[in-house]
Amino acid sequence: MTYTQRRSAAGLFFLAPYAFSFIAFILLPIIVSLCLSVMQFDMTAPHSVKFVGAHNYQEAWKDDYFWQALRATFGYVVLMVPGLIVTALGMALGLHGMARGRNTVRALLFLPGMLNVAVTGILWQWFYNGEFGLFNFVLKHLGLNAAPWLSEKSYAMPSIVIMSLWWSLGGTSIVLLAALQQIPKQIFEAALLDGATGPALLNRITLPLLRPVLLFVVVTNTIAGFQVFGQPFLLTRGGPELSTRGLVQYIYETAFNNYRLGYGAAMSWMLFAIVAVFALVQYSFLRRSTS
Amino acid sequence: MSIKASLGLLFLFALILGFGRTDFQCRSVGGHRSVTLNFWNGFTGPDGRIMLGLVRRFNEAHPDIQVSMQRMDWATYYNKLMVAAVDGRGPEVFVLQSSSLPRMRRAGFVSNVTDLYQGANAVPVSDFDDQVIDQVRYGSDYAGVPLDIWPFGLYCNADMLRQAGFVDSHGQVRAPKDREEFLKAARVMQHMGPDGHPDVWGYALTNWRMNYQSILPQFDGHYFSDDGKADLTNPGNIAALKFLQSLNEGQRLIPPPENGLGWVGYRQKKVAMVIDGIFMVGDLQRLEDFNYVGFPIPTLGNHPGTMAESHVLCVRSGLDSVQQAAARQFLRFLSDNSIDWAKAGQVPARKSVRNTPEFKAMPVQSAFAQQIPTMKYLPKSTIIFELNIELDLAVEKVIRGRATPLEALKVANEHVQAFLDRDKNERTGVDAL
Amino acid sequence: MNAVLKKVNSVFMSLVAAVFLSPIVLMILTSFKPEAEVLNPASVVPKHWTLANYQYLLGWSEEAPFGRWLLNSFFIATSVTLLVVLFSSMAAFAITRLRVPGGNFVLGIIVASMMVPGQLFLVPLYLMLSRLHWLDTPAALIIPATAGGFGVFMLSQFMRAIPEAIEEAALIDGCTPMGLYLNVSLPLCAPALATLGIFTFVGSWNDFLGPLVFMDSVRNYTLPVGIALYQSSYYTEYGLTLATSVLATSPLVLVFMAFQRQIVESMSSTGLKD
Repeated sequence: MTYTQRRSAAGLFFLAPYAFSFIAFILLPIIVSLCLSVMQFDMTAPHSVKFVGAHNYQEAWKDDYFWQALRATFGYVVLMVPGLIVTALGMALGLHGMARGRNTVRALLFLPGMLNVAVTGILWQWFYNGEFGLFNFVLKHLGLNAAPWLSEKSYAMPSIVIMSLWWSLGGTSIVLLAALQQIPKQIFEAALLDGATGPALLNRITLPLLRPVLLFVVVTNTIAGFQVFGQPFLLTRGGPELSTRGLVQYIYETAFNNYRLGYGAAMSWMLFAIVAVFALVQYSFLRRSTS
Repeated sequence: MSIKASLGLLFLFALILGFGRTDFQCRSVGGHRSVTLNFWNGFTGPDGRIMLGLVRRFNEAHPDIQVSMQRMDWATYYNKLMVAAVDGRGPEVFVLQSSSLPRMRRAGFVSNVTDLYQGANAVPVSDFDDQVIDQVRYGSDYAGVPLDIWPFGLYCNADMLRQAGFVDSHGQVRAPKDREEFLKAARVMQHMGPDGHPDVWGYALTNWRMNYQSILPQFDGHYFSDDGKADLTNPGNIAALKFLQSLNEGQRLIPPPENGLGWVGYRQKKVAMVIDGIFMVGDLQRLEDFNYVGFPIPTLGNHPGTMAESHVLCVRSGLDSVQQAAARQFLRFLSDNSIDWAKAGQVPARKSVRNTPEFKAMPVQSAFAQQIPTMKYLPKSTIIFELNIELDLAVEKVIRGRATPLEALKVANEHVQAFLDRDKNERTGVDAL
Repeated sequence: MNAVLKKVNSVFMSLVAAVFLSPIVLMILTSFKPEAEVLNPASVVPKHWTLANYQYLLGWSEEAPFGRWLLNSFFIATSVTLLVVLFSSMAAFAITRLRVPGGNFVLGIIVASMMVPGQLFLVPLYLMLSRLHWLDTPAALIIPATAGGFGVFMLSQFMRAIPEAIEEAALIDGCTPMGLYLNVSLPLCAPALATLGIFTFVGSWNDFLGPLVFMDSVRNYTLPVGIALYQSSYYTEYGLTLATSVLATSPLVLVFMAFQRQIVESMSSTGLKD
């Protein structure tokens, strides 16, 4: 056997345990949901299950609530993903530059991420409460106007994003910090000897070396952003006037409150197509811009 | 501390807590049980605790039957119930909210328990009010046993009400009786803060849609016409919505609209009156220095009335005869002993239980129960979830001043009619309702 | 970076940390308030300190005590973490370092699978676990959790970030694939492995839907799920909810501290620490 063949054989061995689990618990359910999406499948009407072709997809296309939910989802992604990446990168660089106390600060940043989202929702609902909440209490004491945090359409989504940032910033920061720490120190030292300064170091050394991990962070957060559910659900239940009901919440309600699994599956696949386009664009962009 | 040491410490912690207790197992009450019943419900928190106590009493009294109860929040509960039902391994006995019974029944998941209401040891049909037993009656069959009733009512801050002069001849605080008194109470109990914005409100909305639904019967509102068409734009519905609208727009009697805000304010003593369900009373019982009182909803419309729902005890279809007999014993036990359940903040469905001195001594429960003759259930429909979402939206639009009651209800009506049509076309079930 | 900049940076980061911490401090303080006092924003520190919320949570034993749930949580989250880190690192190594044929295509499929909303898997997964007779056993929460694509994607990107020169040097020294995996890739990715470990542990610990849907006996619940049973579905008992959260989260914080120590140690052993 040649070296390449031996390497491939070893590769298959290394891939096997994960591949097995993936096929059984992800790929199979995915195929099932693909089948569901072309069926009329209502769990409470077991006698009327039948194949309907593209009907569910056509229904979504004509469904106002689908488009409204898609708009809400986009609203969240557009605010959340860039906001999160920029602040998390800032936090990671800041943490990396700390001589002492880095571990403590990192732990504190990550602490909110360890709370489950339900408690986070209850806490922030009280903070944001318009008449009787903490934030407006503080604002009034500072002599400022109270804000309609969750009750105005223009405020609600940014309020949700602020809570989400608090909740998830630490996690993304520590991924980026781990990537920074993985860059061998010698590379920096060499660059410093060549007379490189702060911004140049960031542009020429740090960001290019960070590229694969940055790609990972951008893509996973975009996926997570498009699938947002818990945060708006717990804070506003999708209000005001359904303006913060995201697509996954609508899918969830369709599949598990209305029991229309087929229609829910079809909408999931439409969401999949949208996310896939975004991820591909990001992928090719991040590949090209830094190579 | 190394990773091994801390993990070891955690493990030790778990061991001590886990095994250092004598009450680790409470299931071994007397030998081998011949029948096991799984009992699922959505009763978490204090009411779950009371239900668990009932289950334990049943297990002690019936050495041959083992009931084990599983509970989770209602949202997850319905998901799990449905998924388990698809797999054919659902619980033998379970609780449904009356509004979801029609759909679960159509799924073929609920078996009839008609025989429970017959024979020598029957649960007497006459012990239920008509509209209550109607919730489980399908022709000559019965799909379950109503355990309780949860009417909506008026919660008041007794101190504020007394200050506002709502006191009867015995010196007891009394409720505002009608629309005029209610509006007066709301106005008098409002207190202006230094910035010209009220810091105490006389009245606040809790869940908008439920507030709307709980006054709807007073205005003779309804959801469907007699021939089964969506009929949300009827005069009663519009009048009730106009009333809610007037609280915000004309009279500034409620805080700036925000869903779910009222109850928090009420607990903080910054709102004097709210309308909510009887199940909220448990929240007040833990507040030590809070002087609350419950009343029937004042007559804001043409006559007294409110909305109600029930928890219904159901038996799964496809059980063997031994399980069926055991399940019936259990249902009968819970129904007979529902006075315990009343303590959890519920009104028992059985008249005989409500007539006990024990129930009459529960102030809020018995006050809300006065409304039973005039209360209305949601229609027995398989699209209640969709209907409620549309109503949520319509009520919200009106309260925020984005649409007139007629405009908002018209849109909702079109959508609901579309749901009805789709339901008819797509969902042909085991049998028609 | 010069010294002044370093100082400014430290102060700024500490401020940020304080802002992040404050809601949690508020949460802990509130959990010691009697229920009548909890929603009062005017007094952050309890006027009357009480342990009532904790006594209520710890003193109530039904089918299962607190300790049993803690044990379940700990066992499940640890197993999931170990398996995910092992499987994901092996797969990522195969894709990026051993360049398995079609590896990038496989990675593409894995990433794409993350884009399908997971809620829809619930029904097929339940049916599958039922056929396997895994329902109501820890296996139902452990094995399917190893299939997620997050870990493979993350570690692949981290392994790609390792300069190839290091790997080539090892190969010239006659390193076998197993040797390369154990002695080069894993140690160099130690911060990433520990980070993935933390995420997996936290995710598994806080999973709500899984234990509720796949477990039938209350004894088999995990801690956050079991302890949530004390809360009413109708209203929020703030003090109790926050005390619940403090109890359910504190073991996580302990584990995180241990992991963090592990990151520091692993870095000093690979000579990457600065």
